Amino acid sequence: MTQQVSPSAKNAATSPTVFDPRIVVFACNWCSYAGADTAGVSRIQHQPHFRMIRVMCSGRIQPAFVFRAFEKGADGVLVSGCHFGDCHYIFGNERAVEQFAKTMNVVKLLGIEEGRLRLEWISAAEGGRFAEVINEFTDQVRALGPSPFAAEDAIAEIEAPEGGGCQHSDADSDSDAGGGGH
Amino acid sequence: MDAGRHPLIEVITNAEITGCEGGPGDFTVTVRKNPRYVGDDCVACGLCVDHCPQVGGNEFDMGLKARKAIYRPFPQSVPATYVIDSDACLNFMPHLDERQKRRLDKMAKFKRKIDPNYPPNILVCGHCSDACDVDAIDFDQMPEEISLDVGSILVAVGFQEFDARVLGAYGYGRLPNVVTSLELERMLNASGVTGGHVVRPSDLETPKRIVFIQCVGARGEGGRPYCSRFCCMNAVKDSMLIRQHDPVVEEITILYTDLRAFGKGFDDFVTRSKEAASAEYVRGRPAKVWHDPADDTLQVFVEDTRGHEQRRIPADLVVLSVAAAPNEGAVELAEIFGIETDAHGFIARRDPAVSAVETSREGVFVCGSAVGPQVIPDCVAQASATASRAQLYLTGHRHEEKAEPVEPMDLSGPPRVGVMVCHCGVNIAGVLDVEQLAADAAELTDVVVTSTDLFACSSTGQDELMETIKEHRLNRIVVAACTPRTHEPVFRETLARIGFNPFLLEMVNIRDQCSWVHAGTPEAAQNKARALIRMGVARARHLEPLQEGAAAMTRSALVIGGGIAGIQAATDLAVQGFPVTLVEKSNRLGGRLAEPNLMLLYPTMRPASEVLADKLRRLDASGARILLETEVENITGFVGSFEATLKGAVDEVLPVGAVILAVGADLHDPGAAFRFGELPNVVTSADLERRFVNGDDLGLGAEAPKSAAFVLCVGSREPKGFTGCSRYCCPTAIKQAMELNRRGIDTTVFYRDIRTISTGAEEMYREARGRGVLFVRVPPGHTPEIVGNGRAEAVRCYDELLDRRLEVPADLVVLSVGMRPRQPETDHFHEMLKASVGLDGFFLERHPELAPVETAVEGVLLAGTVQGPKDIVDSVAQASAAAAKAAVFLAHDQVRLDPAVAVVDPEICRGCGDCVEICQFHAPALSETAPGVFAAEINASLCKGCGTCASWCPSGAIAARHFTDRQVLAQIDAFFDEARP
Ligand code: FES
Repeated sequence: MTQQVSPSAKNAATSPTVFDPRIVVFACNWCSYAGADTAGVSRIQHQPHFRMIRVMCSGRIQPAFVFRAFEKGADGVLVSGCHFGDCHYIFGNERAVEQFAKTMNVVKLLGIEEGRLRLEWISAAEGGRFAEVINEFTDQVRALGPSPFAAEDAIAEIEAPEGGGCQHSDADSDSDAGGGGH
Repeated sequence: MDAGRHPLIEVITNAEITGCEGGPGDFTVTVRKNPRYVGDDCVACGLCVDHCPQVGGNEFDMGLKARKAIYRPFPQSVPATYVIDSDACLNFMPHLDERQKRRLDKMAKFKRKIDPNYPPNILVCGHCSDACDVDAIDFDQMPEEISLDVGSILVAVGFQEFDARVLGAYGYGRLPNVVTSLELERMLNASGVTGGHVVRPSDLETPKRIVFIQCVGARGEGGRPYCSRFCCMNAVKDSMLIRQHDPVVEEITILYTDLRAFGKGFDDFVTRSKEAASAEYVRGRPAKVWHDPADDTLQVFVEDTRGHEQRRIPADLVVLSVAAAPNEGAVELAEIFGIETDAHGFIARRDPAVSAVETSREGVFVCGSAVGPQVIPDCVAQASATASRAQLYLTGHRHEEKAEPVEPMDLSGPPRVGVMVCHCGVNIAGVLDVEQLAADAAELTDVVVTSTDLFACSSTGQDELMETIKEHRLNRIVVAACTPRTHEPVFRETLARIGFNPFLLEMVNIRDQCSWVHAGTPEAAQNKARALIRMGVARARHLEPLQEGAAAMTRSALVIGGGIAGIQAATDLAVQGFPVTLVEKSNRLGGRLAEPNLMLLYPTMRPASEVLADKLRRLDASGARILLETEVENITGFVGSFEATLKGAVDEVLPVGAVILAVGADLHDPGAAFRFGELPNVVTSADLERRFVNGDDLGLGAEAPKSAAFVLCVGSREPKGFTGCSRYCCPTAIKQAMELNRRGIDTTVFYRDIRTISTGAEEMYREARGRGVLFVRVPPGHTPEIVGNGRAEAVRCYDELLDRRLEVPADLVVLSVGMRPRQPETDHFHEMLKASVGLDGFFLERHPELAPVETAVEGVLLAGTVQGPKDIVDSVAQASAAAAKAAVFLAHDQVRLDPAVAVVDPEICRGCGDCVEICQFHAPALSETAPGVFAAEINASLCKGCGTCASWCPSGAIAARHFTDRQVLAQIDAFFDEARP
C-alpha cells in the first residue's frame, strides 16, 4: 500500500507524466481470459497495472460496467472477447461490438478521451498478443495521463516530484518470455 | 483438455501398443508405458526447465525453436506434466545402486541397438530434481507393461508429414528458406516461435515475396497418388494470415493444380481471400526451386498453364504444402491388431460406404487421418462416429452417474468469508508475499478467517479447506491460487462433497495472471494480487447459492428422413438399446440410393442396391421402429422432452429426448441453362445414372452417341446462388465418364477444378485420364456453350491451355448438377426446431470443427446432406456421429441444468422482445402474463448462460446469474477502494 512502482524506464524517459494507470480489463471466459492464462503458462511478461474481470461472454459487458469503472477513477478500460466466429455463444461478441459503440459515444460525451477505451479480440492461444495488447494499451493510457474522473490523489501524485521512494522496477514487456520464478 | 479432465477417460501417453488378444467385446491389449521420468506429483510449475542446462530441438515447433531436455511437449498438453528426453538429458543415472545401474545399462544397450548414436551418459547433473519442490523427478522410472481389458478399440494414429527432402528439386533440407507448411504454421501461431510473424530462416528477416507450392508429394508427383485434402485451404488461410500480420510482405503467389475448396463455406473463403488480394493464384506445378547465391533469393521455375508461359518467380521464402503420409508405425500397429492397411500404408476400412469407421476386424474402429488425409470437420465427425460404433461392444458397461445426495449445509445469514491464499510451491510465493496477502485480506469486510497453503489443490489443502469451513461456519470461500478455468471444477467438487453450495466459491487468479507474468516487478505484482483478492472478496459477498436443476429426459430419439444417413443414425441408436422412431415421408427407405439412380458407388464400384440392402438388413435387426409415409407435422419442446406430432401411418404425439434431422438435399434444377429442356440430348447426371441402371439407351431419340461431354459445377460455385461446392459431382462425373468411355464413346469433361478428394477418387481420376477421357479446364469467367440445332452437337469453350476456343463434338451432354437445401423441409424444420440455417440455405452446425453435427439447439442433431453437400461416405460418418451425440443425451434419465443462467424479473419486464431477438439459443420467449401484458421468460434448459441478454435488456429486467450486475459492479468498485499505490 505504501509502495510505489514507477512505470517502465522506457516510458519514464519519453513521457512527462509519471504515473501508473489503473486499468480495468473485461474478458470473456473462453477466449481472452484464456489468452491471459496462456500468457501466464508461457511466462510472457507484461505490465501489471490492469485488473481483470471475468465474465462468460463479451456480450455480457454492458455500458454500465464501463461507466462505473470510469466513474470510480479508472484511467482506461479494455473490453475483450473472442475473434469473430469464435464466440462460445455464437454471436455474443457481435452484440458486444454494438454495446461497445454505444459506450464509446457516451464516454466521448463525458469528455473522456477515446484512447482510454478499447475493444480487442484475443483468442485462447494468443498469449503473446494478450501481453502485447496490455503493454500497448497501458502505454497509451499512461501517455494520456490520469483520467479526468480519477481521484484527487492521482493528480496530486503526478504533481509530486519524481523520486522520493520511487523504485524503478522494470515492467518491460519482452523480458525473458521463458523464465518464471526468479 | 476436456478429455484429460473427464472422469471416464484415462489418458496414457508416451506409450506404445505391444500386443492385442481376444475378440470384439473382450480384447486384452498390452501397452508399454515409456518412462517420462517425471512423476504424477508434478504441478507443472516449470522450475525444472529453468534449471536444466541441456538444450534439444523442439518437435512441436518443428525444430524452429529449442527446448530443454526436460520440457512440456506443448502448452496445452495432457497430462500437464513435464517429460525428460532421455536422449538429451545429461544425467540419466544419478544416485544408483548396483541393481539399478545394471538395469539402466541394459536399457542403454537396448537403446544403442536401435540407434548407434545413442549418447553415453557422461555427466552427472540432476539440476532439475534439485529444483523440484515436490520431488516429482524420478530418474529410475522404467518402461512398464500394462494390460488393458477393453470392449473395442479405436485407432486414431493420424498422419505424418511427407518428407519433402525426397523431392530434391525443391531444395527442402538444402535451402534454408524453403520451409514446409507446418513450419510456417508454427511461425504464424501467435504463441509460436516468432510470435505470429513470418521470417526467413536464413536471416530472420521478413520475406517480401512468398511462394506456396501446393501438392508437394501428393497427387502423383514423385510422392503419393492421393490428394491430401487440407493443403489448399491451408495455403489460402495462411496467405490471408500473413497479409494481416505482416504488411511488409509484398507478393504472395500460390502455385496450385486444382483449388480444392470442397468443404462447407470453403469456396466463400477463397473468394474473400481473392477479393482481399491476399495472393496471386497461378496454376502450374513448378519444376524446381533454384537458389541465387548472388542476392540470396530463390527462383521458382514454373510453367503457367495459362498460355503455356514459362515463368521464373522470384521468392524470399518458399512454402511447400506437403502431403500427408501414413504414420510410420501404422502398419506395425495394424499387424498387432490384425487389421488391414491399404496400398499407401493407411489403415483400410472394410467398406467406407457401409461404415466410415469399421476396419477389417470387428470391434476395431478407425477415424481421422489414419485412413487417409482428412480435414478437421470430417475428422471430428468420424471420431464421434467411431465412438458411437464402439459403444455397441460396451453394452452393460454404460456409465450411469450415481451421485450420493449430500445434506446441503446451512449457508444462510450474512456473509462469512474465508480466504485461502495458495503458495503453489514457489510459483506464487516466489514472487508474491503470500502471508502478507492473507494478512491484508483479513482486514476486508466480512472476512472471518484467512489461511495459506503450500498447495491448495492438494488433498491436504482440500481437507484443510473443508475443516476451516466447518470450524468457522463460513458461507463464502475465496481461493487465491491459479486460474478458475482449470481449478474451479476441482474446488467446486470438494465443496459439493460436504454440501457447500459450489456457487459460493470465488477463485482469484494470482498465479497465471499475476506471479507468472509480473515476475520482474514483484511490488506491482503484490499490489495487483492484493487488489484482485479484494475484488474477489467483494464479489464473493454478493454471490448467491444456486441449485443445479434437472429436467426429465425421455430416453428415445426421433430420426427424420429415411435416406442413407437416417438409416445409419437410427441403426446406431437402436442397436445401443435406445427406442428410435425413424419417419420417412415416401413409401420406401433408402432415399437417393433407392431411387434408383445410383448405379455403382465410387470408389469401390459396389452396386448401390447391395450397399443399401446391407444397410437395411442392419436396420431391421436393430429393432428401430420404422414409419413410412409419415410426416412430422410439428415438434415442440426442448432437449429431453420434445413432442413430435406424427401424421400418416400413425396419428400420434410422440415424446422424444433428441431429434436427428436427416431429410437430405435436393438436386439442382438447371432450368433452361445449357439449353436443358430444349435439346433432348442434354441430360442431368442423375438422368444418366438412371439410364445406366435401367439399361435404357443413351441415344435419346437418335442413334447411340459417339461422343459425350460433361459440364461440371452446374448449380454449384455460382457467384449468385449456391456459392459452395457440392463435393460429390467430380468423382461421380469421372465415374460416369469412365463408363461411357468403356462403351466406346469419346468423352470430354469440362471442369473448373477437379476435386477428387474422397478416398480412391484421385486414383480414379488418373485412371480416367489414362483411358483417354479428355479433361478441359474452364477458366473463371467462362462457361461452356452447347452448340446444335434441335439436338446438341458439340460443346464450345475457351481453352486456357491452347489459348483459343475449342469445340468438341458431343451427341450427349451431361450436366453434373449440384445439391440444394431440400425444400420445403428445410424451412419447415427450421421454423419448428429453431435450428439456424446458414447463408447457403443448409442447416448450420454449431461449430464447424468442434461440433459439426450439433445445432445451436440442444438435442437437435444433423445427419447427412441437411448440413451441406457430401458424398455417401461422409454422410454415413456424419450420421453415426449424430447418433453418438444423441446417445450422450439419452444415456441419462435426466438433463442436468446449469443454474448459472439468465432469469427475467416479470415485474420489470416490459415485454419488448429484444432478448427473444438476440438469443441464438431461443431461450427467451414472450408469454402473456395478463390480458394484453407480455413478459419474457427464459427457458433454463435452453439458456447457455452467456449473459448477453442481461446486458441487452433495455429495462434491466434480466439477471445473469453468477455474473449479476451487483457482483460485477462490486468487483469494479473494490478495485478503486484502495487509493492509488
Ligand atoms: S465467449 Fe468470448 S466473446 Fe462470447
